[in-house]
Amino acid sequence: MTDAEVTDCLARGKAGDEKAILEIFHFMYPHVAKLVQANLPARESAEDLIQQVCVKVMSHLDQFSGKVPFLHWVSRIAVNTCLNQIRHEKRRPEVRLADLSEDEANVVEHLAAAPNELDASDHVGSKELVDKLLGTLRPADRLLMRLMYLEGRHVDEIAGLTGWSRSLIKVRAFRARAQLRRRYSLLMKENS
Amino acid sequence: MNPIDDQLDRLFRSAAQARPRPVTAAPFGLETRALAAWRAGRSAETVFWDMRLLVRGLIVAGLIMAVSFLPALNSAESTSNPFADYLQMTDSTVASDEAQ
Repeated sequence: MTDAEVTDCLARGKAGDEKAILEIFHFMYPHVAKLVQANLPARESAEDLIQQVCVKVMSHLDQFSGKVPFLHWVSRIAVNTCLNQIRHEKRRPEVRLADLSEDEANVVEHLAAAPNELDASDHVGSKELVDKLLGTLRPADRLLMRLMYLEGRHVDEIAGLTGWSRSLIKVRAFRARAQLRRRYSLLMKENS
Repeated sequence: MNPIDDQLDRLFRSAAQARPRPVTAAPFGLETRALAAWRAGRSAETVFWDMRLLVRGLIVAGLIMAVSFLPALNSAESTSNPFADYLQMTDSTVASDEAQ
């Protein structure tokens, strides 16, 4: 969909045209799904959350000013909806070596054994291990670490997505990183 | 660099390279559900606006009624006793007689 088509669709959608609303839904769906799945990897109800984000966007089209690209606006809504969702999850499990899968345990061993980058065969295990480690953090810290280190987003970009100030992001990132370091050190101690 | 930090960085870099789950088309029924929720939201919004309009209409009607009722109330107060003028005249006659 080109920018002009998106603008036209949004104008029709704001006027209540159902066909335009459906076009918007199909346009934003992959983007929303990717964001929700990235931020809620362990949840089975990702589909419900995707629906929630899509309906929020469709119902508030009149609030879209057009100052930022449409998908950027959608991302902000998706990220904030995910954050609200994970805030309700109280449980933050500990990560112990005995609880790790074989792939994850291999990653821990490989990281400790050599200073070089991990092999491609370790990527999936690394992702699972990172998900487990991030699962021990507070929701906002988890989201921040994911955006910063897994998606490689810059502080300004994160500020735009979350609405947090740059200084808050830096402080939060520093604390979250320190917590991750502690959790990871415990794993390493168990491993050695 | 702290070896733990270095290991964490390598871990994150490796995790970032893991292929994300492919996003296919919207699952069956999601489109319909999203559209239904959007419709429901719109109709709720319409009902809300209808209610607001109704409440405003009632307030305006009440004000008009009050304004139009005031003159009638005033005139009713002044003419509440049809013998008021007559009685007042009689009282003043009695008072003047007593004075004499």
